[in-house]
Amino acid sequence: MSGATDRRVTDRRVNVAKRPAFESPAALAAPVTPPPTMRRPSATAVGAILVVLRVVAGVVWLVAVAALWEQIVREELGVDVEAGSDVEAASQLVLVLLLVFGGIVLLLESAFAVLVWFGSNWARITVMFFATISIMTSWIESVTGDAEITVRTTLVTLALDILVLLALSSRNARAYARRPRPRVILHRR
Amino acid sequence: MPEASASTDAAGPEPRRRLSFSSILDGFFFIFAGVASVWLAWLVFTQSFEFGWFGIAFFVGFWVVLAYLVLPRLHRILTAIYVPDYFIGRARTSDGLLGDPVNLAFEGSEASLHAAMRMGGWTRADDVTLATSWRIVTSTVTRRSYDVAPVSPLFLFGRQQDFAYQQEVEGNPARRHHVRFWRTPDGWLLPGGRRVDWLAAGTFDRSVGFSLFTLQVTHKIDADIDIERDHIVGTLLGANPAVRVVVLKDFSSGYHSRNGGGDTISTDGDLPVVDVSEVPIAAIESITTDAAGGALHSEGAGGPLPTDAATPRVPVAAAEPALQSREGA
Repeated sequence: MSGATDRRVTDRRVNVAKRPAFESPAALAAPVTPPPTMRRPSATAVGAILVVLRVVAGVVWLVAVAALWEQIVREELGVDVEAGSDVEAASQLVLVLLLVFGGIVLLLESAFAVLVWFGSNWARITVMFFATISIMTSWIESVTGDAEITVRTTLVTLALDILVLLALSSRNARAYARRPRPRVILHRR
Repeated sequence: MPEASASTDAAGPEPRRRLSFSSILDGFFFIFAGVASVWLAWLVFTQSFEFGWFGIAFFVGFWVVLAYLVLPRLHRILTAIYVPDYFIGRARTSDGLLGDPVNLAFEGSEASLHAAMRMGGWTRADDVTLATSWRIVTSTVTRRSYDVAPVSPLFLFGRQQDFAYQQEVEGNPARRHHVRFWRTPDGWLLPGGRRVDWLAAGTFDRSVGFSLFTLQVTHKIDADIDIERDHIVGTLLGANPAVRVVVLKDFSSGYHSRNGGGDTISTDGDLPVVDVSEVPIAAIESITTDAAGGALHSEGAGGPLPTDAATPRVPVAAAEPALQSREGA
């Protein structure tokens, strides 16, 4: 054992690289190189599911706005809507535009959920970017006293945003989205 | 084609890649999510005073957010800065905290190591999945036996353990002997210059409790880890006459410390190097078939050979195919 091992030791010592004796915080941003066979980690799956829940919350919000539209216009804008007037037609148009715009945004978000599920990196980054903006906005509103964040108001959506960000920024989710893929040639069988 | 460029990047031979913009963005999101989760924990905590008795549910929610989201992420960020990442004889938890001490080393191929452990009366632990994690919870609550329960991941050389073995005690899933194994990188030498093929960390789980650092529910380990180390070596020596042991006295100076769950540990610092390369792999076949209900010995099945080139002495024809397929997992 000893003779053979010793020779191997001296032969291999050349290859042992020294590493710096300090730890750099850049390690947090260091690129990860997972094997191509990596299976979908739970962080990615949970992140995609949370994005879907965020879409559901958006649908609930849109339905609530449509149901309470008259009341919202009266209380927020101080406009009394009379049936059959031009004001009513205009407010209905605004509502329809709002619903269409919200629907498109939610459709896009659902598409992002699917892309995240299958490990798209740019979709992951985009989702995290918008979650960050949403969290920042909520934080500024709560600090300036414009909005109080409780369960009855926006805590649920804020919590979903933060959980999405936590899940998708984790090392496993990052590794899965950045895993090397085998080259796929689509136009040939 | 992002896929194509990613694959060429990965294949590129340059060892030191510059940090790309998206990597830095990842680092930012990682830290920002940690800060935002602190805020979330605070918001959930304040809500627990708003709803009377129902607030208890919010308090539990606060604990879940704190223990499983906030503290792991904060530890991950801070330990990347202050915990050394070179070999100091300690494994690290998935949060980067110092985990169980590395207190055993092995020489030999993977197949002989499996053979030696199986003959020593050890069972291989399941891999951690959602199903096996759930079974741990149910078997712990109902105190039913789960003798192949998975062990939590610990990291050495930046890698999760390659596999783990355990012995359940009294059919109680809260108490068990367990040992994790890592293959050492090629050409890697122990401090002092000795080459070994495997490093292992063995500890004894004595109960279930709360982690001191993350407040998570986890196994608490017995403080005297030397007893467990000597137990593992004893079972191997007792079952296999072909096993040889050399003890590196005072490999590390003796110390008292805490592991990743905050449990105290103390050791005399000796490191036994167990040579299992002479253990006949054929021996585990009979054990496997016995366990499968006394099926007939499938002699010389001609399965694929163990690929470990370091031990050409091993009689290859008897290798178990199952071992081969696990390799590199």
